[in-house]
Amino acid sequence: MTLLDYKYADTIHRCFRCGYCKFPVNWMDVNNCPAYARFRMETYSCGGRLWLIRAWLSGEIDWSNHLAEILYSCTACKNCEVKCPLRFNVDILNMIIAAKSEMVESGRIPSSVKEFLENIQRQGNPYGHSRVKRGEWMEGTEIEPYQGHDLLYYVGCVGSYDDRAQEVARMLGKVLQKARVSFGVLGNDENCDGNEVSKLGEETLFEMLVEENVAQFKKLGIQKVVTLSPHSYNAMKNDYPRFNGSFDVMHYTQLLKSLISDGRLDVSAGFDAVVTYHDPCFLGRWNNEYEAARNVITAIPGIQLIEMERNRDSTLCCGGGGGNFYIDLLGGSERSPARIRAREAHAIGARILAVACPNCLTMFEDAVKAEGLEEELVVRDVSEIVAEACGIM
Amino acid sequence: MDIIACIKRVPDTSEADAIKIDGSQRDIQKSGLAFKINDWDEYALEAAVQIKEKLGGTLTAVTVGHQEWNDILRRALAMGADTSIRIDRDVASEDPHIVALILKTVIQRLPHDLVLFGAQSEDFGSGQLGAMVAEMLGIPHATLVVSLEAGENKVHISRELEAGTLESYMIGLPALLTIHTGINQPRYISLGGIKRAMKEELQVMSLNDLGLSVDMLVPMMKLERLELPLQGKGAELITGTPEEAAEQLAKTLKGAGIF
Amino acid sequence: MDSIRQALAEIVGEEHVSTHPEELYIYSFDLGTTEPHRPDYAVSPRTTEEVQGIVKLANKEKIPVVPLGGGLSLAGIAVPFKGGICLDLKRMDSIIEVNEKARYAVVECGVSQARMCSYLEKHHPSLTHSEPGAPGSATVGGNIAIHGQGDLAQPYGFNSDMVNGLEVVLPTGEVCRFGSCAIGASWFTLHPLPDLGLFLGWGGTTGIITKISLRLFPRKRIRGVGLFVVEDEELVPEIMYKLTQTQMAEDIIAFSQAIPPLVSGVQHFTINLAADSEKELEFKQEIIWDDTLGEYIRSGAGGFLGFSRGLDRPAVSKTSDWRKGGGFEYVGSIMPIEKYPECYRRGREISERHGIPYTVLGRCIGIAHAMMFSWTYAFNRADAETVKQAREALHETDDLVLELGGTIWKPGLYGQKLVIERLDPNTLNLMKKVKQLLDPNGIMNPGNWEVSQ
Repeated sequence: MTLLDYKYADTIHRCFRCGYCKFPVNWMDVNNCPAYARFRMETYSCGGRLWLIRAWLSGEIDWSNHLAEILYSCTACKNCEVKCPLRFNVDILNMIIAAKSEMVESGRIPSSVKEFLENIQRQGNPYGHSRVKRGEWMEGTEIEPYQGHDLLYYVGCVGSYDDRAQEVARMLGKVLQKARVSFGVLGNDENCDGNEVSKLGEETLFEMLVEENVAQFKKLGIQKVVTLSPHSYNAMKNDYPRFNGSFDVMHYTQLLKSLISDGRLDVSAGFDAVVTYHDPCFLGRWNNEYEAARNVITAIPGIQLIEMERNRDSTLCCGGGGGNFYIDLLGGSERSPARIRAREAHAIGARILAVACPNCLTMFEDAVKAEGLEEELVVRDVSEIVAEACGIM
Repeated sequence: MDIIACIKRVPDTSEADAIKIDGSQRDIQKSGLAFKINDWDEYALEAAVQIKEKLGGTLTAVTVGHQEWNDILRRALAMGADTSIRIDRDVASEDPHIVALILKTVIQRLPHDLVLFGAQSEDFGSGQLGAMVAEMLGIPHATLVVSLEAGENKVHISRELEAGTLESYMIGLPALLTIHTGINQPRYISLGGIKRAMKEELQVMSLNDLGLSVDMLVPMMKLERLELPLQGKGAELITGTPEEAAEQLAKTLKGAGIF
Repeated sequence: MDSIRQALAEIVGEEHVSTHPEELYIYSFDLGTTEPHRPDYAVSPRTTEEVQGIVKLANKEKIPVVPLGGGLSLAGIAVPFKGGICLDLKRMDSIIEVNEKARYAVVECGVSQARMCSYLEKHHPSLTHSEPGAPGSATVGGNIAIHGQGDLAQPYGFNSDMVNGLEVVLPTGEVCRFGSCAIGASWFTLHPLPDLGLFLGWGGTTGIITKISLRLFPRKRIRGVGLFVVEDEELVPEIMYKLTQTQMAEDIIAFSQAIPPLVSGVQHFTINLAADSEKELEFKQEIIWDDTLGEYIRSGAGGFLGFSRGLDRPAVSKTSDWRKGGGFEYVGSIMPIEKYPECYRRGREISERHGIPYTVLGRCIGIAHAMMFSWTYAFNRADAETVKQAREALHETDDLVLELGGTIWKPGLYGQKLVIERLDPNTLNLMKKVKQLLDPNGIMNPGNWEVSQ
């Protein structure tokens, strides 16, 4: 494909590389683009990436693995779109994803991205674990397979297969059981929601996943979905309707908020802790949901919620988006965004770093260990905090 | 250059406990398994496509298998093969000699400067097929090829020996090579590519079409039984200071009758 | 394996050196109209010691070093015209000390303007610095090195006049300090010790500034902007003069632009006022609007469009997208304020002739001692013809500046030549000697300020 065929040929040259995109909304520091924070070379900033895309498509530079890695180091956190003051800002991620698509179609992508996508093609999850093991996380929980319940509890790939995230998947299930919510799961029949696939530029695979999921949900008569992951929430809420899949989708923090305020979930036992909350990108910047989890946390007696300096739309992404929780292009350094963030949480005196996303969970578990902070800071999902407050744990 | 790449469909066995032996005790249980192109064959296909992109010519992907094996041919087409042929016979657990005979018959009928195989398969791993086919065709071959440069009438290759040693050859064409993993970075095959490949025609041939009959395919080996290795108790971890650990280890070895 | 690359990796770490085509491509550009030139290495040091190591290596290997801050000079000052090592200094971004009593901050050269604003607001809310209005990723080091000006220009002058001290790596690799820090005292004053005139305004061709002690100023509780307009450009100099007489404003800018068409031909003033109390604010407003500008308002020559509280710091600019083109460049000049009307008229003519909507701006520096007058030319990066038009307009404007009796503020190659041609021959000779002394191998940002030619 040349520049002429590129969907954003009219827009890609408009980036001035002024660098606003490197900063958070509150201007705290220059490292709020996770890839730029990690590498601190202009090529890894959003502007650098856009200029390189234009240079590649117009033939000024050739494809290389380094170029592909620069492209795929974008975690789709949306900081750049929020910060760019120019009119085309709404298309920044689209431009990057369209360029990724071009690489996907030519087959030349980093090998870890190839693995990720092939694993999904073959086994319905990026890890390549067998489909028949997807439901193993449920063992011992008495969680029911979906059969006409009020809600589908959609777990997602990370929650189904990652050891630590499975703990959260179970815990959320127990919390919902305690609140007597009518819900069921898809178990082995659950398939990848496709959110990361779409951010990686594999459009056709994404379409296939969405079509299959929509057909499955409709066949089962599913109307309401609560998701563990903000990634699933984002795809189902914003992309599935395009494929005739309009479901009533909630992220679990939104459900917990209403369960607590309705009195269906009693968190009055509470417990003492100093907690800080990390806004997940796909709930926060992508969907403007910053308060549900905070409402849940502050409803618990004994918990002191303190804020990191960059919070809400100023949050520094954990570095796990755009498939990077698996592809790991931003790992391996004290400048890895998850490690920067863990240090920030620790520096303000939090003892619990609360997350609402299984990707953030796994990224921060590793980061806290890498920073040697395990004795002073623990990573807990909001559902685990609620579970403790209801006396489930 | 006319290239033929022979590919096999194998189960995804990245998880150790995915494999269970079936009732016949000569095959594995297939239900619940996902299937894919044999890893080594993917590298061979990529090598073939790269040569084609550089020198022009045709690439034909060939396989011997039942109908479900069409999916690997679609992937080969999506990767850049021009045509694909499936000889309709379920040969998954058969003697490589039989498969070689069938392939040799197909290849003989097609223009071929270069024939590529993967060095071995992920399932049975005999590593014999390529060499056998070359002998049957009467053409030179090299196995475990880790680098490959194709010219007009010859190829320059390197083979991997022990301890990272390489040996290099210049081989006149036609020739057959078995390709080792790591020779290149196989391109990703997008779903869009596969969908486009769905529209292309797959050639399916029967043994009859090849002038072969079942009686001609006499196996030289017969698979008696498949079994899983016995699971041991597990490892014993010896801890303590080097002195303590050495003492305990010596006791354990003595007790096991090692000395 | 390239032995220079190897040596660089040993100094800064493998991850902070690149010879990939992608990095070399990006680092070859200035964001304006200057033609790109590729460096041979892109390097990102973290400490002064690393910078020293790189400079010593560069001397040994006779390879150019090009210091780069935010890359927003828009004059090609950090383009590697002769290749070599592009030194991205933005990792050197620690805020080392803020001394509230003596009102200064010691920072590394790569601290961003945005971070300065945000850090002071959060941790030292009684202090502020002069923010230049460039995108927030511009660096403190780069800004003082080009004699930038900011939103405290009216009372306090150039940002480069707000320096208490510097740490510099010489082109031969030694580290020097200037100001009181040089005798081991705190970084509180520049004078009266022998000063640092050798490193500001030289376009990075005499050494690499690694630390700066920057003077800070009171940040009053209430800060806001008043807007005033006049139609007759001839009134601008006298208005500025009178406003500076009051000594009440923090920043006075006069500007005029073609877009939106409604305001074309009108001269706007933004006047920044700050106060610690309502009483102080009201007093200042009275002096400015009633006493000083009252006559213009009453006669109808000028209009007061209101005062709004709050300052956007750092300022956010959308100029680059005006032609949906992703590019602009401007000629900045330091001019006598009395030249404003001519600067406006002649600049407008040049813009219109080149098919570019005009944008001019004059910022008062000091007590009407001078103004920074700029002519901005937007272009469409995807349309080479507009780039050519912009470049021609810029060159014509460089000529205009000198014709009107000003100096070019941070000239690119074209402007540098004009200035060098006009320089006092003894001064020029001294500059040659200084450069020869400091940079005998000619490695420091060659191509820029080539006084020897």
